[in-house]
Amino acid sequence: MSEFNNIADLDNSKFPIEPGNPIVAIWRKIHAFLTSAKLAMFLLVTILTCCVIGVTIFRDKRAWDMIFSTLWFNGLLVLLVVNVAFCFFSRIWGRKLTLVSLGMILFHLSFVAILGGIIYNSLFYFRGLIRLTEGETLPNGELQSYDSSDRGRFFNLSKLKGETTLIKMHTMYKVDGDDKRAAYEIAVGEGSLKKQGIIYITKNLDYRGFRYYNDKEGYSLLIMLYDKLGRELYGAYVPLQSLKQKDDTYLYTTGTKDGPGDFPFPQDSSKPLFTLQAAYVPTPIKELSGDAFFKVWPLVDARHEEKAIAEGKAAIGEMFDAGDYYLSVREVRYWVGMNVRYDPGLPIVLASLWVGLSGVVITFIGRILKRKK
Amino acid sequence: MKFEYIFFWIAAGLYGVSACSYIFGLISKQEKLFTFGLYSALAGFVPHLASIGRRWMETGIEPFITISESITFGIFMAVLIYLIFQFATEKVRPLGVLIMPVAFVLMGWAGTLIKDAATQIAPALQSWWIWVHIIGAATGFGSVLAAAGLGLMYLLKEKYSAGIYEKLPEPQALDNLAYRFVAGGFIMYGLMIVSGAFWSNQVKGNYWNWDPVEVWSLISWLTYGIYLHLRATFGWRGRKLAWYALIALAAMIISYWGIPFTVETFHAGFRIQH
Ligand code: HEM
Repeated sequence: MSEFNNIADLDNSKFPIEPGNPIVAIWRKIHAFLTSAKLAMFLLVTILTCCVIGVTIFRDKRAWDMIFSTLWFNGLLVLLVVNVAFCFFSRIWGRKLTLVSLGMILFHLSFVAILGGIIYNSLFYFRGLIRLTEGETLPNGELQSYDSSDRGRFFNLSKLKGETTLIKMHTMYKVDGDDKRAAYEIAVGEGSLKKQGIIYITKNLDYRGFRYYNDKEGYSLLIMLYDKLGRELYGAYVPLQSLKQKDDTYLYTTGTKDGPGDFPFPQDSSKPLFTLQAAYVPTPIKELSGDAFFKVWPLVDARHEEKAIAEGKAAIGEMFDAGDYYLSVREVRYWVGMNVRYDPGLPIVLASLWVGLSGVVITFIGRILKRKK
Repeated sequence: MKFEYIFFWIAAGLYGVSACSYIFGLISKQEKLFTFGLYSALAGFVPHLASIGRRWMETGIEPFITISESITFGIFMAVLIYLIFQFATEKVRPLGVLIMPVAFVLMGWAGTLIKDAATQIAPALQSWWIWVHIIGAATGFGSVLAAAGLGLMYLLKEKYSAGIYEKLPEPQALDNLAYRFVAGGFIMYGLMIVSGAFWSNQVKGNYWNWDPVEVWSLISWLTYGIYLHLRATFGWRGRKLAWYALIALAAMIISYWGIPFTVETFHAGFRIQH
């Protein structure tokens, strides 16, 4: 006997639980509440109503904000599952195991397991959007590598090991004749454990539970800076946004997803010289060639009240006169954005879906067989 | 006019004929009209199949994507299930009195939405989950439509037991049949949701997003889940459940195809972004 047991015994002898004890009374109340089939019906109908409201009165983002991501709605879901657990299993308890009851047990168990899986996942998940230009490598463990990231309370950052490299992006990638549009050739991991593979819309790459999904892609310009004597001073890859225009064409430019914009250039040297907006117009004739557009402003003038220092275009590989310097786009590459997901609860949820479905089928078959007899 | 459309409208017309003969059969208590209704439904089913096949062959794209295509296929499955049931049992002869008018009206509606150019799910997204998904949805609809029809039969049988209703199965048997169709539909609908979740997981890495289409299908699924519980847990039978099945059918149709009135896309989440 361990000490713990002794202590527990002691505690019990000190506070004997008697009928009429308030704790027992409360527990009975809670138990009666949770095992009520009426509560189950009420919850089902309430959730149903919320769903209807969430796709009619409010929609999309508002439906999320007002209903689907709220604490109370998710609380209702949790309560429903707790209710299923108590209500269903207290009723089915002790019943003879037949095909019908077996199916029902499977079904309701899977229901509980799905929620268990979802909750477990919400504590341990990781989600990030990583953006890489062809040839670029970023460390997985540093959150700066991700455009945005999100994680569960108990996700351990040390799980993010190694690095991710975008080797190449393939356009018009075909698999068995199906056009999969774009495919990314990537390598993930550390040292000898590196895993290399191609991902496209219906295929992801799984590295130790971290799944890489393709998301979006665009152009990246290698912008070079030269002095007036043509000496190379600096160069960097600058990813462009693709902005859909009113006439359904795309504008490829520096800026944010909300619109074109400029940035201090050179980017990561201590002293930027000016701010620059660069854009790219691809030619349909040859992949990754075309024209680059530049617009250069003095650094001090953040609101661009003065006239631009220089503005104009140059073909890829050619020089552009930007006042005291030359600019040039030496090369165009693709960049890609990938969703990185780690969802340890996912297998539980997905497997439970099948278990649940087979439960309904088993109950159904059981009932038909019973009739036949 | 293209063959596809000619076939389509012949099918719709024959479903209309079938619907009318069922309704008049019921009013005038003429059983012969039920037989006529059944055979005109069968006669309509053939050009219906031809129309779908023709569209498929012409475009090379599976015609189950746009709203009109989806409705057309849903009716196709519903009529198929109905025909199989009728020719296999011949027990519930006036059953078409609900099913065929619904088929006719929905077909007419689909006809007004039909578009020449076939849309396709971007080939990039194709995966065999889609097939499970589409067939689950259409079969599920066909099953619960039959269940609602049986509910109506139950209500009629209960009210008038003489004449043409005499040959109907006993109320209890009707009730039980209706339950089976609901359970079958519930399973097929479950299959649709599960395959949708797997599909979404394959493409986007998440299985559920509270996207309007997803929520609508959850709504119809829960509606029938409640039906099953009213029966199994609360012991409902007969009249109340028959009414429930009829009302739930309306909810089902709205949730399945009413979506175009609320959101534009078939599956907002499955568009490819640039
Ligand atoms: C709080 C929630 C729930 C409770 C308390 C509950 C309880 C029960 C109980 C007690 C039974 C057995 C009925 C009997 O005595 O024979 C049952 C059957 C069943 N439940 Fe649930 N359940 C819940 C949620 C769900 C949900 C959300 C679904 C799916 C939409 C579902 C689907 C089923 C099915 C398919 C059956 C078998 C019905 C049949 O064909 O006989 N349950 N449930």
